[in-house]
Amino acid sequence: MIVCVAVVGHQNNPLYIQSFTEEDDALKLHHIVHCSLDVVDERVNNPKKSGPTLNETFLGLLYPTENYKVYGYLTNTKVKFILVTTDLDVRDADVRNFFRSFHAAYVDAVSNPFHVPGKKITSKTFANRVSTIVKSFGLSSAG
Amino acid sequence: MEEYPEEYRTPPVSLVSLVGCAEHQAVISRHLLAEQPPINTLALPDLSNFLLLLAQKDSSKPPQAAGILRRDWLIKHRTRIPSVVAALFSSDQVSGDPTQWLQVCSDLDNLKAVLRPRNIKLVVVVIFQSSSKDDINEDRYLALRKRAEVDTKHLLNFNPNDDTELKQSLTRLGSTFAELASTYYREEGRRIKTRIEKKSYSSIDFNIRYCFKVAVFAEFRRDWVEALRSYEDAYHAVREMIGTSTRLPPIQRLVEIRTVAEQLHFKISTLLLHGGKVKEAVIWFNQHNASYRKLVGAPEVIFLHWEWMSRQFLVFAELLETSSVSVPSISSLVSGTADEALTEWQFHPSYYYQLAAHYLKEKRLSLELTLSMSETANEIDSSAESVVPSVYVGQFVRLLEQGDAVQPLTDEEYTRFAIAEGKRYQDTFEIIALLKKSCESYGNLKPRRMGSYCGLRMAAEYFAVGDFSIAKQLFDEVASQYRQEGWVTLLWEVVGYLRECSRKSGSVKDFIEYSLEMAALPVLSGTDPQGFKECGPAGPPSLSQREIIHKEVFQLVSGKAGSASAEDIKINGDNPLHLEIDLVSPLRLVLLASVAFHEQIIKPGVSTSITLSLLSQLPLNVEIDQLEVQFNQSKCNFIIVNAQRPPLAATTEDHEGHRVESAPSLTLATNKWLRLTYDIKSDQSGRLECISVIAKMGHHFTICCRAESPASMEDLPLWKFEERVETFPTKDPALAFSGQKATHVEEPDPLVDLNISASCPALAGESFIVPVTVVSRGHDIYSGELKINIVDVRGGGLFSPRETEPSAVESHHVELLGVVGPEGEDESQLNSDEIKKIQQSFGLVSVPFLKNGDSWSCKLEIKWHRPKPVMLFVSLGYSPHSNESTAQKVNVHKSLQIEGKTAVEISHRFMLPFRREPLLLTRIKPDPESEKLPSLPSNETSLLIISARNCTEVPLQLLSMSVDNEDGDSDRSCSVQHGGEDNLGPALLVPGEEFKKVFTIIPPVDSSKVNLGTVCLRWRRNDHSGSTITETWVLTKHKLPEVELEVSPLVVSLECPPYAILGEPFTYLVKIQNQTLLLQEIKYSVADAQSFVLSGSHSDAFFVLPKSQHTLSYKVVPLASGSQQLPKVTVTSVRYSAGFQASSTASTVFVFPSKPEFKMGDAGETTRMQSIASE
Repeated sequence: MIVCVAVVGHQNNPLYIQSFTEEDDALKLHHIVHCSLDVVDERVNNPKKSGPTLNETFLGLLYPTENYKVYGYLTNTKVKFILVTTDLDVRDADVRNFFRSFHAAYVDAVSNPFHVPGKKITSKTFANRVSTIVKSFGLSSAG
Repeated sequence: MEEYPEEYRTPPVSLVSLVGCAEHQAVISRHLLAEQPPINTLALPDLSNFLLLLAQKDSSKPPQAAGILRRDWLIKHRTRIPSVVAALFSSDQVSGDPTQWLQVCSDLDNLKAVLRPRNIKLVVVVIFQSSSKDDINEDRYLALRKRAEVDTKHLLNFNPNDDTELKQSLTRLGSTFAELASTYYREEGRRIKTRIEKKSYSSIDFNIRYCFKVAVFAEFRRDWVEALRSYEDAYHAVREMIGTSTRLPPIQRLVEIRTVAEQLHFKISTLLLHGGKVKEAVIWFNQHNASYRKLVGAPEVIFLHWEWMSRQFLVFAELLETSSVSVPSISSLVSGTADEALTEWQFHPSYYYQLAAHYLKEKRLSLELTLSMSETANEIDSSAESVVPSVYVGQFVRLLEQGDAVQPLTDEEYTRFAIAEGKRYQDTFEIIALLKKSCESYGNLKPRRMGSYCGLRMAAEYFAVGDFSIAKQLFDEVASQYRQEGWVTLLWEVVGYLRECSRKSGSVKDFIEYSLEMAALPVLSGTDPQGFKECGPAGPPSLSQREIIHKEVFQLVSGKAGSASAEDIKINGDNPLHLEIDLVSPLRLVLLASVAFHEQIIKPGVSTSITLSLLSQLPLNVEIDQLEVQFNQSKCNFIIVNAQRPPLAATTEDHEGHRVESAPSLTLATNKWLRLTYDIKSDQSGRLECISVIAKMGHHFTICCRAESPASMEDLPLWKFEERVETFPTKDPALAFSGQKATHVEEPDPLVDLNISASCPALAGESFIVPVTVVSRGHDIYSGELKINIVDVRGGGLFSPRETEPSAVESHHVELLGVVGPEGEDESQLNSDEIKKIQQSFGLVSVPFLKNGDSWSCKLEIKWHRPKPVMLFVSLGYSPHSNESTAQKVNVHKSLQIEGKTAVEISHRFMLPFRREPLLLTRIKPDPESEKLPSLPSNETSLLIISARNCTEVPLQLLSMSVDNEDGDSDRSCSVQHGGEDNLGPALLVPGEEFKKVFTIIPPVDSSKVNLGTVCLRWRRNDHSGSTITETWVLTKHKLPEVELEVSPLVVSLECPPYAILGEPFTYLVKIQNQTLLLQEIKYSVADAQSFVLSGSHSDAFFVLPKSQHTLSYKVVPLASGSQQLPKVTVTSVRYSAGFQASSTASTVFVFPSKPEFKMGDAGETTRMQSIASE
């Protein structure tokens, strides 16, 4: 189950962060998302080390922590998408699919002429779309 | 890791035992320990000790296993049960008398009896006391071997008497021991292994125990692969036990399983890391972690689970840290398969430390929960005292009062014991230590955010234990990180902690600052407050929470102090509070002051508008009582008071001297600029800058906000990421883009006239006078200074010496000679302290004090050496007030372009005497290569005509013209003489007129070149109105060129009377003089003229003898009157092929109709006539 998704701007500032959990641990998830930026930085700054993942937007598993796994995605404009999930065995393909549709939703949201680039995404349509994507996560593999 | 006993942490070492002959044991044990691999030695002086040692083992093995692993099994094998026993006998004992031999035999028998059941190997060592070794006969050896039932090779000799012998003996002993030990451990391992294979065990406990033993024996043999495999078998078996074993009550059962699993896992990890298999170790750890994480156990002892988890992470972190192997490159990690994907951090101990801390926190949390639930906390302590660890790993029993008897615990008893144990530990400090380790470890790698997170957790622990100063320091570091990246929710938590820290430590200023920052954070109502629980003391981030904080702060600063929580924090007359907000302060959100002058340049004393805009992001309206605007010119400071509030009593006294404005309202609404526009004027020239705006709220609370220019204002931090209405700080958008907080005040306008005039162009050579007049028209002039600059018009700057030719005497073409003060004021009368500095192109003159209306003038004397246009700059700097000496200088500038012109143009011309023509060869055959120097016949009289033309537009007076020999060359070879007398008076030369003067030159014979000298012309302006200064004569010099001298071979001269009378014949002579030593052939021809009749041959040729003269003589009768042309005579020299024809002037004569009557005047007039006639 996805517990948190986030869009992080190129200055590492949060643009959109939403948790999908019943428990009261949203702040902890914020911390996890924030910490995962370290891994993103590390991967981006040392592209040699990541070898085959060069030029790929999907960053893969960033790190496992406590009961969560954190995945990352980096767009061309250095906007990062972070996904926090509680599932222990996640298929990479699922995560890739998730990020792809999430990216599409993001592009649509920032294409809004009333959206100022670099500001937080407050669009309700975007939020709705994201929650739909989150809910459908993993269903394809399960079904 | 330290909590594990030593035998677990280090690889096992084989143990052998030495019995008897205590004096040699030390040598042997030292040698064995130094072997590779080392062998530990159990040295016993006497056999009885050994028997006692082994006899301790209780033979009564419990048929039913009471536990998985015996706690002391490993240490027993490492310290008490040797693999090999060496019985040491001295040779005397062996070869001695029968009683000694019997003793040896009985000892051996006893030993064998003990060793056999345990399968321990026996070695018999005979020690020779003396160097002679053949004192034991073969029979004894055989008997001894038989008795001991050992192989030949296990009956060893030991000779300590000789060094080489000793070394050999020791080596032999070592290898035998190592071999036997290895055999022992292998046999033992195999023996137990067969039990596993045959499954001849009653319960799974034994399976685990056997696997463990096999692994340990393998470790003794250094067979790491076998050991690892067996440990893994044991580990899996333990995993299977969960849920199947019923031997113990459930809580204790789980504790035992976990403890055993932990030990096995520790062993496996150590072996993997030891073998350099970091990746495998990490994967193994992940599996271990995954399989036990969910095994929480009974709810009342859930804290044991978290403690255990924490310990797993801690131990693994320590193992990773101490293992020498380096982390493999990331590339190999990331490319791992999907299900085993490992990330960078999983190879780093800090990650595990962090999680260890996390689980320890969980443990503390659940322990606190358990403690709060158990009512009978006190009674627990008494009953837990007698609980001790049992002989089995992971079990506890109650020690009964009587003796060693033990009693198993019930789960309730165990829980109580565990809680009591848990209470004893200071988890907080443990957590801090773990986090600090993690933080430091991260710090080396520079992942700042992970470090911040650890720092935050650490600070929260410090906060929990009440160490606020350390907590505050840590929180501050973390907060700056979050501020920088705009993580508002995280920042909210941190600042919330900081706020509480400062509240608890009684720091009013910090408390207010943090509270204001929190209240101004961009936490909007859209954020879901339900999801946030662990938000620290600040509560969940929400708009309502911000409002609560806002209200609390403003109650506090207004002195109402309603909130009970802030009992230590007071703001009153004794503790006024003053906050500073600069450009980088996080409090910019709270109050932002933008100041814009409407004009960038203002005149002094003229008022301009200034717009003061204030912005606050506080959630509620803020009422400001008074605003003070401060400038760098403190005279301009002014105060704005809120008309709706009563004036603050405390501030009334410092209003003096400052302007006080009143604003109808000073209320700051959220995210809405409060714009105030006022007039401002400054009398002081220079920069006028608004420094700060001080807002006063209540009697004792002020915020000093640094003023910012709207043009260069940065976005509000944090809020810049929010969607909000952004408005301009000023109403005029242009001003918002260009407005500055500083303006430039111009100098006051000068009320002084500065006049310079030059009526006409200057003439080169003269001292040109430029009058300068300073007239005060409204200002008094104090300490005035007149600066004079002469600049090349073409922009060449000042006249520097490099522009001039090196030969020029004067270094400047135009030179400022001096400044002459007003009339009647001599230069010597100037006070010595007055400045007067004259350089060639720069002058500085002080102007005396002038009252309003007075005037002062001086004259600049400028000399042009060359004709050149220049720009004359004159500037007057003065101060209009006597007291302000230098601060307020007023400057007046004037400039004037002055042309410099040549006054007279001097030219010269050479002429020969009338009707006398010497033949100059250079004239007929000009040499193109030679210099074009004019040539003159030597030893002949030549004429020099010098003319001076007035090129100016003013009449000039000429005083004299002369040719001087400037060089002072006394033996001048040429004499230039004026034909007549000098002019008697100054000659007036009107513009354009030319003055001419004739000189005669008779060059000497003996030189080829002659310097004629310099023309000196003295002149001045014919200025009738001119002052005395112009009286001086100007000397203009013109250097005459050098001339070449030539000896002319032939001279032709024509002679005829000055005039003729109609009809009267006269003689016309043509004289040809040969000056050479050669015979000259001359041809001549005469052309007829209309008005004359002549006699003589028309053409002929003749020879002129050397140094002689030939004369052609014609009688000529004029036929017409007037100026008539004489017959033309052409003379040709054959030798030089040069012809001569007299010029028409020379061959013209005036014919009077009749004989004229001349009235002869005086001689002077005649000469004058002559000189004019020669023109």
